[in-house]
Amino acid sequence: MKKVVTVGIGGRSFVIDEDAYQKLERYLDKFRQKTGNGNEAADIMEDLEQRIAELFYEELSGKGEVVNISSVNKVISQLGMPDGSPVDESSDYSSEPSATAANQTVVKRLYRDPDNRVIGGVCSGLGHYLNIDMIIIRVIFGISLFMGGLGFCAYIIFWIIAPQAMTAAQKCEMRGIPVTAENLRKVSSYK
Amino acid sequence: MTDINTDNVKSQMRKGVLEYCILSILNNNDAYASSLIEELKSAKMIVVEGTLYPLLTRQKNQGLLSYRWEESPQGPPRKYYSITEKGRELLEEMDSAWRELVETINLIRNKKNQ
Repeated sequence: MKKVVTVGIGGRSFVIDEDAYQKLERYLDKFRQKTGNGNEAADIMEDLEQRIAELFYEELSGKGEVVNISSVNKVISQLGMPDGSPVDESSDYSSEPSATAANQTVVKRLYRDPDNRVIGGVCSGLGHYLNIDMIIIRVIFGISLFMGGLGFCAYIIFWIIAPQAMTAAQKCEMRGIPVTAENLRKVSSYK
Repeated sequence: MTDINTDNVKSQMRKGVLEYCILSILNNNDAYASSLIEELKSAKMIVVEGTLYPLLTRQKNQGLLSYRWEESPQGPPRKYYSITEKGRELLEEMDSAWRELVETINLIRNKKNQ
């Protein structure tokens, strides 16, 4: 059982699955973004909707009454984008978070990096924070061990104050990259 | 890499003559957007339909095309496109430009063969 929505497309009414409706709406939004603005865009969108209605009508004839996600996918791949580029499926999910992330300032915090650690992950965490290769920081700490206990104390203090980056979101913050679906996937694969 | 380049060149070429194709088709007979699409698709001029709508709207706003609403046997009325006098004039110019282009290409290619 699925929830359905009734929509008017190009002067006809269709009953459409909720997930299919959301996908279609995202597609229309993206298409609109690429057509620019002005009254030209309104005409183009009207033509496009007309065509979608036609395709749905053909698709449905004799095959039930509800437009489902596979019909929507089929129609979208047939229509494509106004500049002829293929519809970017992956940006379906990241477009909204990244749009908001672009407005926010990207957070960068000091974490200990559990994926690249020798002792506590302090050096690699500092490396991410300061944008320096972690090897250099390790060498500096290594040398400081032979020059009094200052480096050792500093390491212990960092270990205490810096939390370990446990979640993928924290790992994004550690690297100072926006927390988007794409980046979350990327940092999760670093292990 | 070469695949991407040839594809790109081909699509650029098609894009260049797409407006010419639309006017040529409409010069033969008036057409619905969907039959226009069918014809262009079978001629492999367009891959996705989305590219066509901005073009149609632009040509309509330039006064090259006009459309009227016509009753359809199924569903609401559909847009029926036809070429205007201005569109025909442009088409004639495009025809001669196209012939020149073909001649130029032939000339260059034949030179190479000699």
